[in-house]
Amino acid sequence: MSPRRTEIGGRIDRLRTIRFTFDGAPYTGHAGDTLASALLANGVTLFGRSFKYHRPRGLLAAGVEEPNALVTVLRGEVREPNIAATMVEIYDGLVAVSQNRTPSLAWDISAINQLGGKILSAGFYYKTFMGPVIGPLKGTRFWMFCEHFIRRAAGLGKAGTAPDPARYERMNAFCDVLIVGSGPAGLMAAKAAADQGARVILADLEANFGGSANWSGETIDGMPAADWALRTVGQLEGNDNVRLLPRTTVWGYYDGNTLAALERVTDHKEVAAKGEPRQRYWAIRAGTVVLATGSFERPLVFPGNDRPGVMLAHAAERYVNEYGVLPGQRIALFTNNDSAYRSAVAFKKAGAAVVAIVDVRSDVSNEMRRLASEAEAELLAAHAVIATEGGKGLTGLKVQRFDAMSGALSGDERSIHADSLLMSGGWSPTIHLASQAGAKAEWDPARQAFLPPKPTQRWPNQQWVGAGAFTGGFSTAEAIAEGRAVGLQAAGGAVSSAPLPVVEVAPGDPDPAPVFEIKAKGKSFVDFQHDVTAEDVRLAHREGFVSVEHLKRYTTLGMATDQGKNSNVPGLAIMAEALGKPIPEVGTTRFRPPYTAVSIGSLAAERFGDLKPERLTPMHDWHLANGARMYSAGLWYRPMIYGLAGETVEQAYVREAKATRESAGIVDVSTLGKIAVQGPDAAELLDRVYTNMFSTLAVGKARYGLMLREDGLAFDDGTTWRLGDQEFLMTTTTANAGKVMQHLEYFLDVIWPELKVTVTSVTDEWAGAAIGGPNARAILASCVTGTAVDNATLPFMGIVHGRIAGIPVMICRLSFSGEMAFEVYSGAGYGTHVWEALIEAGKPFGLVTYGLEALGTMRIEKGHVTGAEIDGRTTARDLHLDWMLSKKKPFIGSAMMDREGLIGSDRLELVGVIALDNRALNGGGHIVEELDEANPHGSLGHITACCYSPALGKYIALALVKGGKARHGTRAFVSDPLRNRFGPIEIVSNHFYDPDGSRMHG
Amino acid sequence: MLITCPYCGPRDVIEFTYQGDGNRERPQPASQNLDAWNAYVYDRLNPAGDHNEIWQHSGGCRAHLRVVRNTITHEILSTAFARGGHKSADNRAEGRS
Amino acid sequence: MAEQHLPERQSPLEPEYHPGSHGNFEHGVDVILSETRPGSILQLAAWPGEEKRLIEIIRKVAGLALPDGAGGGVSSGARAVFGFAPGKFTVVDEAEGLAQAFAGSITPAIGTLTDLSHGRTAIRIAGPKAEWVMAKFFAIDFALPAFPLGAGRSTNHHDVFAQIQRSGADQFDIYVFRSFARSFWKALCHASEEVGYEVQ
Repeated sequence: MSPRRTEIGGRIDRLRTIRFTFDGAPYTGHAGDTLASALLANGVTLFGRSFKYHRPRGLLAAGVEEPNALVTVLRGEVREPNIAATMVEIYDGLVAVSQNRTPSLAWDISAINQLGGKILSAGFYYKTFMGPVIGPLKGTRFWMFCEHFIRRAAGLGKAGTAPDPARYERMNAFCDVLIVGSGPAGLMAAKAAADQGARVILADLEANFGGSANWSGETIDGMPAADWALRTVGQLEGNDNVRLLPRTTVWGYYDGNTLAALERVTDHKEVAAKGEPRQRYWAIRAGTVVLATGSFERPLVFPGNDRPGVMLAHAAERYVNEYGVLPGQRIALFTNNDSAYRSAVAFKKAGAAVVAIVDVRSDVSNEMRRLASEAEAELLAAHAVIATEGGKGLTGLKVQRFDAMSGALSGDERSIHADSLLMSGGWSPTIHLASQAGAKAEWDPARQAFLPPKPTQRWPNQQWVGAGAFTGGFSTAEAIAEGRAVGLQAAGGAVSSAPLPVVEVAPGDPDPAPVFEIKAKGKSFVDFQHDVTAEDVRLAHREGFVSVEHLKRYTTLGMATDQGKNSNVPGLAIMAEALGKPIPEVGTTRFRPPYTAVSIGSLAAERFGDLKPERLTPMHDWHLANGARMYSAGLWYRPMIYGLAGETVEQAYVREAKATRESAGIVDVSTLGKIAVQGPDAAELLDRVYTNMFSTLAVGKARYGLMLREDGLAFDDGTTWRLGDQEFLMTTTTANAGKVMQHLEYFLDVIWPELKVTVTSVTDEWAGAAIGGPNARAILASCVTGTAVDNATLPFMGIVHGRIAGIPVMICRLSFSGEMAFEVYSGAGYGTHVWEALIEAGKPFGLVTYGLEALGTMRIEKGHVTGAEIDGRTTARDLHLDWMLSKKKPFIGSAMMDREGLIGSDRLELVGVIALDNRALNGGGHIVEELDEANPHGSLGHITACCYSPALGKYIALALVKGGKARHGTRAFVSDPLRNRFGPIEIVSNHFYDPDGSRMHG
Repeated sequence: MLITCPYCGPRDVIEFTYQGDGNRERPQPASQNLDAWNAYVYDRLNPAGDHNEIWQHSGGCRAHLRVVRNTITHEILSTAFARGGHKSADNRAEGRS
Repeated sequence: MAEQHLPERQSPLEPEYHPGSHGNFEHGVDVILSETRPGSILQLAAWPGEEKRLIEIIRKVAGLALPDGAGGGVSSGARAVFGFAPGKFTVVDEAEGLAQAFAGSITPAIGTLTDLSHGRTAIRIAGPKAEWVMAKFFAIDFALPAFPLGAGRSTNHHDVFAQIQRSGADQFDIYVFRSFARSFWKALCHASEEVGYEVQ
């Protein structure tokens, strides 16, 4: 028997023993235990070390708000740090370790930081490490020296470095009503909404639905509340219109009632089933959200309130009633409200001695006095705890008379021997999601709590209603009534007068005394995880911080992983007192997503590794099977080179380009953007979007076109083919296909709705192969049937239809390489057939396949522009494309293209560059008139593309250079300090090779 | 954020592309009034409150929409096709069961 | 044009298409995945105001009676049609050559016809967990009342555009761009592992 496990009681399965380790030591627990409850049952009191002072810390809470007991869970090589032990369900083989301690939890070297408490006060880092150097121990330089040690000492758990093999998924869900929280209010709301036929999602971050019903010990409908919850869940389970999401934290509330939730699908399992994700990110679009998120009990702030053994009262009640674990044998309670008295009775029933109830109030009601007697506890009204004793576990506490009005302590100190001190500082509704949604919380002086606002104050985009403790109604009877009412309301049902489940009324006043802090000697913690004390808050005030938002950032109060779930209200109360203002005037901070920590894996979900979408051409597999080294261009994969054994990339592309110019080469151009432009106004649209005329283009002919943006800068280029009177096939650059499509759609929808034109992306409909070189026509002639390909039938920019290997093809004679060249298009499903037939036909001619590198080389030799030159800053004139600017018609960009700044003589213009030192150039390298390696300056422009030109036998480049054509034939230098490349160059025309085009015109 | 496409119904904002201020007026194509062109290309309203915007349902039916959105609350006050016309046979409100 | 015998079209899924049961199938297969490989996939578009005439042509030529309303559609055996955008419809036929059947009817006064038989890949998902798996990809409501039988939807998954038609109570036909098809198929298989899937 574990030392602290009760004989009976709790909702654990005592017949199932589960084995796990914590810090290497073996432990056992039961099915239904959390790591926290199982360790507590084993007598473990020390769970972690605090962030700054490395003080020993035990469990404060039993749920998601736990700030102290953060552990790292190990699965093989993968470690997940900073998980609250209260949220870890144990399973066989669980390995958990404590954090923030060296070498061990029990003996931590950094605990010495406690002695330097004055130095590590609020703003320590700002004060010590910022600003000028004054003496040896101040300033930024001192930070440089200390950083290494501080970084090592700071922080809690360590993130792992091993790749996480777990699967994460994203799921989209839609519902009429999303209910967050499954306590009595949430269950009633879910039942009411489901009975109306609404689509309901019920989410709870705990493993078991029921919320407080699982540990309150109350009776609902004549049965234990936990059984009532189980029965209600059973009724919901059978409904098709209900989705139950246990272990699911709704962590974000976004516009349009879109909510984000994280489901821990397999974290509680020894092994995940095949294909089962570890965690699932739910994006939920809800008609109405029911916030039944309950409330958090607040700690009291007093010296030594962080000692292991000091716990929240309801958390202890939960350990007893839900897990059958007593937090101690001699229990003392410290409270400012009635709720702790019920807890006292529960501890007594479970077999502990309740040695004292210390209540700050003098006027304790008779009902509470009766409960104190029932618990056989000494009631110390108008008293306060002023100190705690013990090391890694509590041994006792000191109390003194206390005046709740003045906060004054008086009389003799008295020591009480206890191994557990349970505190209750009142309750704060869990308003986080409402706050995220824009609701401004309102201070309720009776409840001493921030309550969600009335419905009228809501933002228009968030439709939520609240029920239960969330609204400040802290009794189960209220929760049940409100839950049903809002469930009906959310589902559009009528108000019901049917009888509600009967709750055995627990006596007690929900309003606490307005006491948050006992001022006595010693460290009183407000934010346990970040080690922020009441004195730190006052120090911040003395140093001039008046805004609550600044206070938060300066002291880091509420900025730890628990995000102020425990510390928010006590911190504000202390700040308000220091400022001499009432709490509502100080205000509260707005809560931001996420409510709890969210794994990056769940946010990335399926979008990682292989599952990033890739675009493949129809000939992709052929390329792979034939030695292509692939290159990713946007989402597309394209052959870079088809390398032979032992070849470098440069050797490969030089060989490919050379062979193409000498005989013939073939390249996959399926990635070019292709847009079908159809309809009676198709030609008119093209005249408006291109700088040159298309309405005059004959059917069966293609034309090179240039588009500008509205601001007159160059946008995209490509050839457009007229396939019929009202039918064009537009091609775009690979990179701009999507942008050009959107551009056309925008103008058709928004600017020129009167034009009857359909634009459709047909990029994927066609496989494209460009075959070029002196023998290209002969190769085509040997395999094309149904049409001739001679100069008369297929002149430059002509289009013919025929067949290759029996497959219909469309052939257009155009050239990017500068050779006699043809683009052969076929249905994508036949792309490989046609490609292979062309390869076969090319064999007698030594046809080579070439990739992007050779393609780029040949285009640089020809001086053609691509996206590297059409970079969003260049005009048609800069690129020497002004011959394409029609004067006969307006077109997009025509009005703006001649603005002063776009026609100046100092603009960067396209030129060619030849390296005079016979060394490779680099894209991005600058062109300068005077070389100054030590102090590079005076850039005339930059290199946009470069290669070794087999046709010229030189390293060449295209560049954008001030002066442009005027500099042809002059010398300059390349200055590329980043890659340490400096050297002489000659500026020439961008048309390096065959400038009169005799090769392609043949 | 959800935007209700008149064709596709309410869809997540990830399916949409913002296409700019909907208050701009494009001058006549042949206009040489540079001030008017400058205003069209560069001037943008940036109201704190209701704003006329153009959004494309790029991840859906690809229609451009005129959207009135409150830039403070993100509330979408209205949506309509930028291109008129397609209402009779296609209006979602008419035909959906 | 005289019909010539053409080879079978290459599937973009081929190296990743593995018939048989996969994933967590020991407890049963909850979805069946297949590539339906229709011979014809057409896009028909009507100018504003001409939608009804186009719908009538579709009825005459394909024998498919489109229900009124955005995204309405019908799927019957070898053929299917659905609206996916204002005035735009996707028409699918198991057989090739549907474009020729429509060619004469869709005059410039009515609208346009675009043949996408090669450019779109048709993937079918069927089974009791089809909605569950689809919800992993697309932020649209797949529940039957929100997405009725025969209806079509345009949506996307990251960069992958998809047109989806509900062709059965628990069956969806997904039309994706051919270049993205293999990537999408791999993702679809991956997402289906959890429920156990069979490739047919």
